[in-house]
Amino acid sequence: MVKIIIDDKPVEVEEGTTVFNAAKDAGIAIPHFCYHPAFAPEGTCRMCLVEIEGIPKLELACSTIVREGMKVFTQSDRVVEARRGVLEFLLADHPLDCPICDQAGDCKLQDYYEEYGLYDSHFSEVKEKRGKKSKLGPHLIHDQERCVLCRRCVRFLQEVTKTQEMGVFERGVHAEVNIHEGILIDNNYSGNLAEICPVGAITDTDFRFKTRSWFLGKGTSICPHCSRGCNITIEYNAFFHRFPVPQRVYRIKSLYNPNVNGYWICDLGRYGYRYLDDDRLDEIRVNSGNDKLAWQAVAPLLAEKLNRLRYMNRASRIALVLNTWLTNEELFLVKKIFGDDLKTNKIVFADPPQGKADDLLLTEDRSPNRKGAEAIGFDLNPLDLDVLFEKTDILLIFGSYLKDKANPAELKTHLDKIETTILLSSHKSELDALVDVVLPVPTIAEKSGSLTNCEGVVQTFSPALEDHRNSCPEWQFLVDLGKELGSNFKYYSQFTSTQAILKEMGKEIVFFEMNND
Amino acid sequence: MNEKILSKLFDVEQAHKIDVYLEKKGYQAVRKAVEKMTPELILEEVKNASLRGRGGAGFPAGVKWGFVPKGVDKPKYLCVNADEGEPGTFKDKYIMSYNPHLLIEGIIITSYCVGIHKAYIYIRGEYENIALRLEEAIAEAEDKGYLGKNILNSGFDLDLFVHRGAGAYVCGEETALLESLEGKRGNPRLKPPFPASIGLFNCPTVINNVETLSNVPSIILNGADWFCQVGLPKDGGTRIFGVSGMVKKPGVYELPIGSSLKEIIFDHAGGMKEGKELKAVIPGGMSAPVLTADEIDIKMDFDSLVEAKSMLGSAAIIVIDTDTSMIDVLRLVTKFYAHESCGQCTPCRIGNNWIRKTVNRIASGEGRKEDLDNIIRLANNILGKTLCPLGDAAAMPIISIVQKFRQELESYMRN
Repeated sequence: MVKIIIDDKPVEVEEGTTVFNAAKDAGIAIPHFCYHPAFAPEGTCRMCLVEIEGIPKLELACSTIVREGMKVFTQSDRVVEARRGVLEFLLADHPLDCPICDQAGDCKLQDYYEEYGLYDSHFSEVKEKRGKKSKLGPHLIHDQERCVLCRRCVRFLQEVTKTQEMGVFERGVHAEVNIHEGILIDNNYSGNLAEICPVGAITDTDFRFKTRSWFLGKGTSICPHCSRGCNITIEYNAFFHRFPVPQRVYRIKSLYNPNVNGYWICDLGRYGYRYLDDDRLDEIRVNSGNDKLAWQAVAPLLAEKLNRLRYMNRASRIALVLNTWLTNEELFLVKKIFGDDLKTNKIVFADPPQGKADDLLLTEDRSPNRKGAEAIGFDLNPLDLDVLFEKTDILLIFGSYLKDKANPAELKTHLDKIETTILLSSHKSELDALVDVVLPVPTIAEKSGSLTNCEGVVQTFSPALEDHRNSCPEWQFLVDLGKELGSNFKYYSQFTSTQAILKEMGKEIVFFEMNND
Repeated sequence: MNEKILSKLFDVEQAHKIDVYLEKKGYQAVRKAVEKMTPELILEEVKNASLRGRGGAGFPAGVKWGFVPKGVDKPKYLCVNADEGEPGTFKDKYIMSYNPHLLIEGIIITSYCVGIHKAYIYIRGEYENIALRLEEAIAEAEDKGYLGKNILNSGFDLDLFVHRGAGAYVCGEETALLESLEGKRGNPRLKPPFPASIGLFNCPTVINNVETLSNVPSIILNGADWFCQVGLPKDGGTRIFGVSGMVKKPGVYELPIGSSLKEIIFDHAGGMKEGKELKAVIPGGMSAPVLTADEIDIKMDFDSLVEAKSMLGSAAIIVIDTDTSMIDVLRLVTKFYAHESCGQCTPCRIGNNWIRKTVNRIASGEGRKEDLDNIIRLANNILGKTLCPLGDAAAMPIISIVQKFRQELESYMRN
């Protein structure tokens, strides 16, 4: 360990730490553009210069390694003056078009000017003209005039995707980052470029001109589009349900998690957010009869039907269709209620088809919790429709993927023969018309629970978004059902939250004992 | 005493041929070094000789060699900086044109001392003919067994290559030179790590200027004490002063370090041209702060010039007369550095261009009262704050010209 003093504050850090990170540990933020923790320090923006006692020149915080007894000043007059100088240079040729720039509100240039700049402009020359709104790729727009040449984009494409679509061209004041002639940035990680650009030089086509970033609330969640389980931030308009704005969710950003996704997410996850608002089920739908059904009545009614079969020794006539978008907790409750309690043996999975994996984050599985289902003890073999539908009186369907497993006419014939068919789904589908009751449920972004990723990491999450529909999370419904079944009321009564369920899982299943974070 | 170390063969016919060079007792230093001296002894001798870098920074060569880590399981490289890009400088081209074997000898001894088996001469792209001459000289040296495998039966191997640059000033900066030599864009690297530990192809590397290495053979033959006697105890040997501008006899003059600037201009270079009057001198290549006519009574060595708030740099003396307008000098300086900035780091990239535009505006008669203060302020925001020395090289002459010739510059402003 090395002891140093930053702004009169004693700090103890590990040997080999940079001044920048030591300051960060001490809660002192040092302004920077080119430094990004995913890459080696570049030292080119010159914004992180700090004063170190005994060294005549200002030194880079991002690349200087701490030495025992070092005294660092991050707010001295010389440092503040140097920062102001760098800002003045960067803003000299900048178009100052914040009112129409998507980065406004998230922009380091803007923030640092407020913090360290606030000078009167001395620039009375003609600004350099540069390329504007050129297309970098399907998701990216480039505005050279706003660029600070931090080269984060170039380094990302060199070091992370290794696709090298961008480079630095020309030199001096004409130096610019750009794509090589004749190619576009069309890899599955291109969206990260707009996210790591510290200014408004690279903006996202999808987000462009849609809203201002300060109107957006932020919630954290897990990306459900493959089994990697990347950590994400969902940015949404919090007043969506009260004011007429065109979208609720506006964008998804990556959330750093060193054990799962690092700093990045793929474009499939980043741009695949429309499902959160499109084609959602709002209300409970009852197809047989005109009865209105309230959520409170669902569990008692179903419990009664299930108990009737149980006491007639006909539990084999109960069937379930699950999917691996269900959380660990939900799958566990299904296992307890239907597997252990009711002794149902007709439990199958209907999942979205597999896709192609890449060698970075994206996996073949297009659902987030296959590992979790396996750990809980489910058999994930492909479903056999004949076995599922034969001699079945009650069919409980989670999710709408069953619709892809057979043609609608065939499904209708089968489902019509079953006495009670219940569908729990977050989205509308052709199945809605084929079952007796459709129950709206929230998406992963709107509920709490945990998912087990492809590497066996169990990640818990809370609702990132509020669900304003008449929905009930599956785990809550299953807890109610468990209680209503009556055979083990006390056991299900303890599950007042998903955390409580996961805690119990840790006691019963070794895998979750080890992984419970 | 007017000892010639580097230029004594400049006037000898065909001295660039190895036969003539050998006739003039060439390659004796190599023979002495590999046959009679250990690498440690050579290093000691060069350190004691106070041989300081002739490229401009004046860093002691022996100390630099000593930084190369011992016992590393990687090849080591020597890169000879023959980029000679500093405006006003034309000394290395003379050494390489008229005495290439002296440089090769220096390269062999240095490589033997540090344990290097591959050396590169990175030569300015414009020096095409000189590059060809070096290649001929290398071929000759290989034929005679001074280069290649088992040099003079010592068991020491060395291959020497010539690599031509593509015309960027910044590639004379040692780490940009390495990048360029590796085939990349010539951008200076972030230091540390220093090239001595991580240099060419991530291996330990020594980088020295042509003139620096060309001094090594004489140190080996005559000893460190002799070398210090020729120059100064802390700054040994001679310098090739390249005098240009309004003097009667512009050219290269090899003189002991510590010679008087006034004598160089008025005695050796013949004084000012007929009808011309001295106004200012840039004493060490364009990046050295300017000296006024009253300030030239000064010794030309690294420390004396630092004391005078200028620098010896590449010892290129640019003599400016009273008919030359300082706004034109300033325009030239700012145009050059704005053009040659690699564009990597903010202050150099934008600051130099900004200053260039303001200077041009002043030159066109549109200057304002506050412009000169603003130029100094901007130059100070470049000075000491850039990734490589190019920022300082630009800021220093600009600040000195504005400060020392303020009145003249103000006269260009209409208002």
